[in-house]
Amino acid sequence: MKQWMKVLKNGLSFENPLTVLMIGLCSVLAVSSRAEGSFFMGVAVMFVLVMSNVIIAAIRHLIPEEVRIPIFIVIIASFVTIVDLVMKAYLPSVYSFLGVWIPLIVVNCIVLGRAEAFAYHNRVWLSVADGIGMGLGYTIIITALAAFRELFGGGQIVFLKMTLVTLPAFYRPPNILLLFPGAFMLFGLIVAGSQALNRRMAAKQAAAHASVKEAM
Amino acid sequence: MSSLSQLMLLFVGAALVNNILLTRFIALCSFFGISNDMHTSIGMSLAVIFVMMMASTATWLFYYFLLKPLGVGEFLYIPAFILVIAALVQFVEMYLRKYSPALYRAMGIFLPLITTNCAVLAAATEAVKPGFFKMNMVYDFTLGENLIYTLGVACGYGFALLSFTAMRERLDLAPVPEWLKGTPMAFITAGLLSLGYMGLGSLFGL
Repeated sequence: MKQWMKVLKNGLSFENPLTVLMIGLCSVLAVSSRAEGSFFMGVAVMFVLVMSNVIIAAIRHLIPEEVRIPIFIVIIASFVTIVDLVMKAYLPSVYSFLGVWIPLIVVNCIVLGRAEAFAYHNRVWLSVADGIGMGLGYTIIITALAAFRELFGGGQIVFLKMTLVTLPAFYRPPNILLLFPGAFMLFGLIVAGSQALNRRMAAKQAAAHASVKEAM
Repeated sequence: MSSLSQLMLLFVGAALVNNILLTRFIALCSFFGISNDMHTSIGMSLAVIFVMMMASTATWLFYYFLLKPLGVGEFLYIPAFILVIAALVQFVEMYLRKYSPALYRAMGIFLPLITTNCAVLAAATEAVKPGFFKMNMVYDFTLGENLIYTLGVACGYGFALLSFTAMRERLDLAPVPEWLKGTPMAFITAGLLSLGYMGLGSLFGL
């Protein structure tokens, strides 16, 4: 159980697919102009991640090493098809907003990467934790980014036709945040911020290290 | 069959107005990954144009002559397409290695990467499901239109990639603030480039 929680937390912090590993970026930039769409995109990715992790971990002894990638892709594609059809039936507005990004979950580096790096070498129980952790990490970041863009770029957040938050009328939302160039620039600033943070942490660590050495 | 002007519009729309990299964010991984070096970018662009044309022809034939008559196109197209693309790329790689070493040296290393390049799957999917393609052309493509459309998407990819690579090479020499150096500046440059592409949208009224 302890190990299970550790694997789960790994996805949320140390190995978060987006902020640390920097993979699977395309869908994040494209979809994060609306919180609602981003949230369901995250849920879809999480579903595909967990289910494909479970199946791959369960049959990992039967999969020959040489043809593992095609087998992974077929398993992933089956679950993506399930998501595609379910979303089309029950959430048509979200489906038309996400468009081609739902079929493109098949080639999302995160899903295939976790199958290859984790599920193929670990037990089913742990693979579930990995899928949930990575999926949650993805969902939280993409939804937060979308909420920010929608709130400050559009003035309000609408979720399933309910208006959750509205900014006061004197705030004139800069539309560029919602458009493509805004996404690029905002993400560039986020990367700059996280790099600066990393540098500062590293410098602090080096300083601490040096002072320990001096004391010795 | 549509008229010549419609085909031109389809090409321009796919290449510039709905540029796959800069206005739709598809295949960004390769965009930021390999745009450091002009030589690599040229090889990648050629490989993408080549593979995309072949892949979308193959998937179009597969969809209209096999999946649709059998009535399974609606729910089998995702696994079917990705397998067709993966198998095709594998064969192309083997063929090039054996019969055309010069071409293989130029773009061989990119071929395996392209299997998981979202752009190829996206173009193939949109050709048979035009509802995704946000122009007012929601009808089934014929094979010829499909080829024009795919050529447009692939050329748009190459054009955006090459122009961005050229910019990044100049950017290495530019006085950029310390905290923006590297990836952040690349994103901001891409944002400005994308702003330019947005202007094309209103130019053609698409």
